[in-house]
Amino acid sequence: MWAVYKKELKSYFLSPIGYITIGLFLLVFSLFFYLTTVSVGAYDMGNLYFNTARYGLLIMVPIITMRTFAEERKNGTEQLLLTSPRSITGIVLGKFFAAVTLILITLAFSFVYYIILCFFKAPNLASTLVSMLGFLLVAMAAIGLGMFISSLTENQVIAAIITIILLVVPWFLPNIDESFAMVDLMSSYQKFPAGLISVAEVTNLLAFAIMFILFTIIVMQRRKSVK
Amino acid sequence: MIEVKNVTKKYPNVMAVDNISFEVKDGEVVGFLGPNGAGKSTTMNMITGFIEPTKGQIIINGYDISKKPKKAKKQIGYMPEGVPLYTELTVKEFVTYMAELKLVKKGKKEIVEKAINETGLKEVENKLIRNLSRGYKQRVGLAGALVGDPAVIILDEPTVGLDPKQITEIRNLIKELGKKHTVILSSHILSEVSQICERVIIINRGKIVAVDTPENLETKTKEKNTILVTVEDVKGNMSTLQEKVPEIEEVKLVKDNEDYTKQYAITSAQEFDLRKKLFDILPKEEITIFELKKGETTLEDAFLKLVDTNSQEQLEEQQQEELQKTKAKEEKKKQKQEKKEIKIEAKKEKNNKEEKKESKKAEKKDKGGEK
Repeated sequence: MWAVYKKELKSYFLSPIGYITIGLFLLVFSLFFYLTTVSVGAYDMGNLYFNTARYGLLIMVPIITMRTFAEERKNGTEQLLLTSPRSITGIVLGKFFAAVTLILITLAFSFVYYIILCFFKAPNLASTLVSMLGFLLVAMAAIGLGMFISSLTENQVIAAIITIILLVVPWFLPNIDESFAMVDLMSSYQKFPAGLISVAEVTNLLAFAIMFILFTIIVMQRRKSVK
Repeated sequence: MIEVKNVTKKYPNVMAVDNISFEVKDGEVVGFLGPNGAGKSTTMNMITGFIEPTKGQIIINGYDISKKPKKAKKQIGYMPEGVPLYTELTVKEFVTYMAELKLVKKGKKEIVEKAINETGLKEVENKLIRNLSRGYKQRVGLAGALVGDPAVIILDEPTVGLDPKQITEIRNLIKELGKKHTVILSSHILSEVSQICERVIIINRGKIVAVDTPENLETKTKEKNTILVTVEDVKGNMSTLQEKVPEIEEVKLVKDNEDYTKQYAITSAQEFDLRKKLFDILPKEEITIFELKKGETTLEDAFLKLVDTNSQEQLEEQQQEELQKTKAKEEKKKQKQEKKEIKIEAKKEKNNKEEKKESKKAEKKDKGGEK
């Protein structure tokens, strides 16, 4: 797993993807920093992370995940991976955690804003960290989904577009029926902004991520006999 | 040792590999030969565990690739078709990654270094793979396959797309590898296989057509004697040559040279050597001999012949099968129709009976009414 993890993380920064992701995050985060704190005079960062998770991850995650498997399949490097003695589970987890690490790096950048606020009035550190945890969990769930989509196609653009669609459509589903609200990842990000860790929300998001990791593993294993 | 036992790979509409079995012994260099789409890559992908066979068993140094994939895959270094590489990495990074993937732990640096040196990549080891020429990329693929000294090295079309100089370089490299490892390589270039390999497996349409040494294959498939003559034939007597020498089976014009000489291929049955006879008779016909030599059957001919006959046989088989199928279908249809007809007749009879009954009833009623 660690060999794949190391190489994947390195690849993010050998290609523009790592920098684009960090840039996008900073752009969206700065925008909401202005809207939710500076312009209204608030010192709480909960809403900031909430909105960045909702709108920022929508673009960041597909950019991160679209190439995970689609590129390997298209270039044929998939053959190198799958004929190595490494297990498919290890390969999938390696790629997953590399993507998660990229999110962690972007989160580290967001501390700059915390420090900026400290000059005026320090926000509650604990609740900021809880917000970050929520952001990370939502990102993990979305990365799981994006990775799964990427394992289904060899076209990166299609993988990205389908991932975006699958992340956006749940916003509108409650209009059809209230019970669909559960499908939206952000429905499990309601208590984090207030600095509360809800067991239900954490398990929801983790389960979502694990489910799609398992799906990806199954797809990769199935490809052996289907192809 | 690699054992392939009754392996079949079936796709929804195509039989890619059809029940093939063969063995490759330790230290052997075996060539996998076949036209495009014959099932070479599919077979190699199955041996390396990239795809699962529909049926059959593949055992590598005692480990079944489906049941003990980790141990079996550890024995193999694979360079897939088209040489896929991570082009964003440098040569050294790539080879290191491949070593890590192969679970190399102790002495990783030395092992990577060794692979780089063996493939002559030392001077480009810090360059991005993306910027390398095709020949170098091929070497990087080879380095990736042989890093960590796997017992078996499998190369899928290792020389495709290279220039002649690069081809000879890669071939020499493979020959070197053959001294220490078991090597399986596929190719559709025959000269390559006859140069490098000790044994050739010819595959066509998913079936093994022949397994033998290149030399044996050449002699086996040789049926006729061919003699190549280059002559100056002012009076056009070559066309009547066949009538004068009855042993000649065919006189074929091969080349029309610019200096008014022509090259012919003259074939006869295998037991006749026509050279002496031709040497005597041609001057008498006022034909000047510029060159006279025995034509050699190459592996190329052997291959084409094997593949052709095999294809034809298979085609005929298929056609026959289809014919039988259509016949069976027609018979079924006929039977159905007959059944239908019988049913219709039965119905008609029933209807008639009923009509009769009804008419009888009606008559009775009429009679009753009259009464």
